[in-house]
Amino acid sequence: MIENPYLPIKTEVLDVIEESSTIKTFRLKPESLLHFKAGQFIEMSIPGKGEAPFTPSSSPYEKDKLEITIMKAGRVTAMIHNLKKSDIVGLRGPYGKEYPLSEYEGKEILLVGGGVGLAPLRALFLALTHDIEKYKSVLFCCGSRTPSDIIYKDCVLDKWQNLDKKRVKFRITVDRKDDSWKGNVGLVTTTLDKLEINLKNSVSIVCGPPIMMKFATFKLLEVGYKPEQIYLSMEKNMSCGIGKCGHCRLGNFYACKDGPVFRYDKISYIHEIWD
Amino acid sequence: MDLYFINKPNLDRLVKSLSKIYNIFAPVKSGNNRFYKKVGDEGLEGATIGEIRTVEPIKSFYFPARARIAEYFSKENSNKSEKPFAIMGAKSCDLVSFKVMDYVYAQEPFRDPFYMSKREKHLIISSDCTCYGETCFCVAIGIMPYPAEGFDINLSEVEGGYVAECDSLKGEQILKEYFKLFQAAEPYIGKREANRKRLKEDLLGHVKKSRIPQKDSIQKAFKSKFDSGLWEETAKTCVECGACNMICPACHCFILMDQKKDNGFEKLRMWDSCLLMHFARVAGGANPRKFLGQRLRNRFDKKFNFFPDTIGKFGCTGCGRCTEACPGKIDIREVLSKL
Repeated sequence: MIENPYLPIKTEVLDVIEESSTIKTFRLKPESLLHFKAGQFIEMSIPGKGEAPFTPSSSPYEKDKLEITIMKAGRVTAMIHNLKKSDIVGLRGPYGKEYPLSEYEGKEILLVGGGVGLAPLRALFLALTHDIEKYKSVLFCCGSRTPSDIIYKDCVLDKWQNLDKKRVKFRITVDRKDDSWKGNVGLVTTTLDKLEINLKNSVSIVCGPPIMMKFATFKLLEVGYKPEQIYLSMEKNMSCGIGKCGHCRLGNFYACKDGPVFRYDKISYIHEIWD
Repeated sequence: MDLYFINKPNLDRLVKSLSKIYNIFAPVKSGNNRFYKKVGDEGLEGATIGEIRTVEPIKSFYFPARARIAEYFSKENSNKSEKPFAIMGAKSCDLVSFKVMDYVYAQEPFRDPFYMSKREKHLIISSDCTCYGETCFCVAIGIMPYPAEGFDINLSEVEGGYVAECDSLKGEQILKEYFKLFQAAEPYIGKREANRKRLKEDLLGHVKKSRIPQKDSIQKAFKSKFDSGLWEETAKTCVECGACNMICPACHCFILMDQKKDNGFEKLRMWDSCLLMHFARVAGGANPRKFLGQRLRNRFDKKFNFFPDTIGKFGCTGCGRCTEACPGKIDIREVLSKL
């Protein structure tokens, strides 16, 4: 008998972490193990209310728990934001293609994230730093609207800064500063100027809102990255997660099964990719 | 391929016997249209085996408009064993839609258990078209008005009965089991071929009027018209009802919804329509196909560009149902002719 791919796994909310006024991280414990790789997504549901796709933000090496960082953006996410510790939700997955880590080995890796787009990049960052000796270096460029919109503050601004100062570097910027902010001000694309990276041996991975992905990609092309060196996490309406319901079609692909991670050269011909 | 002849009284007997194993559905005429009705206990009960396709597409049997697919956190299989269906009188334009449906629902690594079990258990006794409808255009896109594959048994109407052909093990077993009901087909084969040739030629003459591009140039023509005003122009009379999607044998999209069940909840799968505003919208409201023209183009993109690239077939079977169903009088043949 074929397993039912639509059946969610019963999952307990262990903790809810407030990241910003609109973003929360949910720490979850599914009843049965659900091994995801960085970049893959899961479908999370509130029984009777609805279901939506999210990319876990925790380390893929953590076996029995996972974290999902969610921005309050629509009907389902608003309901998810009302969840409390020990509430029950459903999870299905993981689905889709992960970041191809083996292709990144020995390379200088540039991560470009904006807003809640940092979520999948956090899982990727944790996977990369788990085996940091495999990679030449990691530069993490993070953009947020204001200092209070920065998510994973204790990691981004503190803990991660001291991981491996030689190999792992950060460029953090905000669009608009406040009185407390002493760092860079400007769109995340401004952090891509004067990169100290050997572009020939580099890959860049971008995740963020569509408009940010568009301009970050154009900027990367401008500074010399080739389309085949740019990896994007495409946000589409992934409903079934398994390439059947048709909602997330992107040219000849389905974002849910052929993505959500795509190499830019594979999808650059498609109309509507940034919409 | 072995061919046999079965006369009308014997087909009635066969149906009566098969109805003990299968719930048999066959086209029954109402007005000028045909609808699947349950038959079998009394034989064919006035079913129309020939003529043209039914109003509803065959996908309804394999991928129902609304189906329960999971109960929250219940490990029990909601795919309960039911008496299998036998579908009689399905036409070529419905059978070729299985190429699309199988690609979607039987694809690894996530095969759809509900679809798969129906595909395994159900029986298809198809039949040749014996005439064509005004909106029929299968031959323009390379599909014949008589089934070539994908059936268990096919029936071609000839005087006094049918030439039966089988295309599966299931079909062969039935022919073997009910061997006494069949006769040698030799005297009828020539007539079957003549009927097929005549209908094909008549239909070719009919579709010629629509000026649909040559089948091998449709995809290229679609690509060249991607950014043209055709879509916005065509969408002017579209009322966004989604009827074209619902009635299409090759439209497979669905939406998942929850509903209450006893003390818990269950997940439903319902047909969805890419013409509707919400279809591709994501959280926060971003929508890659905000305009109706974009959504209408998307329907043609999927059928005449995506499927040719992914499975080497059109996602359209030329059945003409969408043209009949459209309250905005959008005629798929006319749109194709403007490519």
